[in-house]
Amino acid sequence: MTGACLQVEELVAGYEPGVPVVQGASFSVAAGEILAILGPNGAGKSTLVKAVAGLVPITSGRVALDSVEFTTLATHLRTAQGLAYVPQIDNVFATLSVEDNLAVAALAGSRAERRARVQEALAGFPDLAARRSQLAGKLSGGQRQMLAVARALIERPQLLLLDEPSAGLAPKIVGQLFERVRAIAASGVGVVLVEQNVRAALAVADRVLVLVQGRNCMQGTPTQLAADPALAALYVGGAAGVTG
Amino acid sequence: MNLQFLLDGVIAGATLALGATGVTLTYANLRFANFAHGEFLSWGAYLAMLVASLLGGAFSAPLGPFSFGGGLLLSAVVAALLTGVLALALDAALFRRLRRRGTAVTAVMASFGVSMALRALLEVLFTSRPRYFSDELQIALPLGGGMRATPDQLAMLGLAALVAGAVWLLLARSAIGRQMRAASENPLLAAVAGVDVAQVLRITWLLGGMLAAVAGVVLGVLVQVRPSMGSELLLPLFAAAIVGGIGSVPGAVVGGLIVGISEAAAVQFVGAEWRAAVSFVLLILVLLVRPTGLFGSRP
Repeated sequence: MTGACLQVEELVAGYEPGVPVVQGASFSVAAGEILAILGPNGAGKSTLVKAVAGLVPITSGRVALDSVEFTTLATHLRTAQGLAYVPQIDNVFATLSVEDNLAVAALAGSRAERRARVQEALAGFPDLAARRSQLAGKLSGGQRQMLAVARALIERPQLLLLDEPSAGLAPKIVGQLFERVRAIAASGVGVVLVEQNVRAALAVADRVLVLVQGRNCMQGTPTQLAADPALAALYVGGAAGVTG
Repeated sequence: MNLQFLLDGVIAGATLALGATGVTLTYANLRFANFAHGEFLSWGAYLAMLVASLLGGAFSAPLGPFSFGGGLLLSAVVAALLTGVLALALDAALFRRLRRRGTAVTAVMASFGVSMALRALLEVLFTSRPRYFSDELQIALPLGGGMRATPDQLAMLGLAALVAGAVWLLLARSAIGRQMRAASENPLLAAVAGVDVAQVLRITWLLGGMLAAVAGVVLGVLVQVRPSMGSELLLPLFAAAIVGGIGSVPGAVVGGLIVGISEAAAVQFVGAEWRAAVSFVLLILVLLVRPTGLFGSRP
């Protein structure tokens, strides 16, 4: 796709050799675009983004960011290339302060530049700024998620991978989080959003990819997919709130 | 009551604190109990002695009231670097491969083997005869409260405090310190945050080896240098690290002092034959009552 920020082609990946979880998934995301990846439990959504982040071995296929291939690159080097990943759980350093959680990811540039980026991140998240010296392990679920997003953004990535960011959060907090995701995309960052909360994902995404058994199953705009009964049929009883 | 045991305990505890700081860092970051760590103390002491003998001459003249000259300090720095390199080489040759293929238990068993090999090599190279950094006699100075200490003891206490303080500053304030703390808590998240975890592990080995070498020099100056000096300290070192809490430098220092003072108190109030049991008792008590230790966050 021309102008694609992230390109994933025919990706096969899994935790054990010979047991692929992702079985040939392909997608692309443009700068400033939000792609939601949906699918039933066990579809391989989280494994797919983990493989893109370098946390799950890739057997075959290709991953490129801004046309630079990094299929075999180490995780920390992918981050240096402009890829940011926020895991679903354990996504903050609980024994480090809020400020240290941000500082640990501010790696490029001089000491003054790194410090400035931490201050900038805190300014963008006033709730975190008020708790800068607090241990991250003492934060609420929503604050942790915000801290994880703030940390992921600190090196100004081109692409942000979010793995089920709404899991376990109150609806009000989910709303605030997704407003923030929209703002991030509006600043030109491509966003890949893996979600179980289908209604919320359809509300925030520009495009949707539905994954089943590690393969592309459906793609389209949120409006197209919300009207497609096949999406609801993928979820148990169609109860995922697809039609609201 | 004679308070000398308290001072003796603090001095012994300072050596333990240095060694335990290395143990706690390597345990937290490498995620296995490295039983070869004690040998790094012995190798550090022997390497410092070797470098000091090579320097010889003007460097060996005693400084003021101390039994050692400036050569010892220079030798300690060189020995610390060489021991750090030895630790790195062991990681590259053995432990890194085991981390990829094996479990923590495999690495622990391998560290037993490495420990025995390193100790045997010292005996081959230097014999098991005890050696001394200096044959200068030291007169203990009265410090009040019935306590006395030699100038060497006070100097080594100061050195231990300085090194422990520097390590705490490194971990608390520097970028690499933050990365070490982050990688010790969650290496995958650290990698995702852009931290080169493999480099953090290399720095951990280097730092652990260097701290052990300084502890070995301190012990060598205050007592003597023997091939078994490090392995004999292994249990108190682990007890100190676990009492303080794995991963915590202040914890290792406090744990070292607690173990040192407890051992000295046991000698004074119960009997010298109970000294070795103190580490065991403290270790068991902490594991039963507070497995995370005094300052730690994970068992």
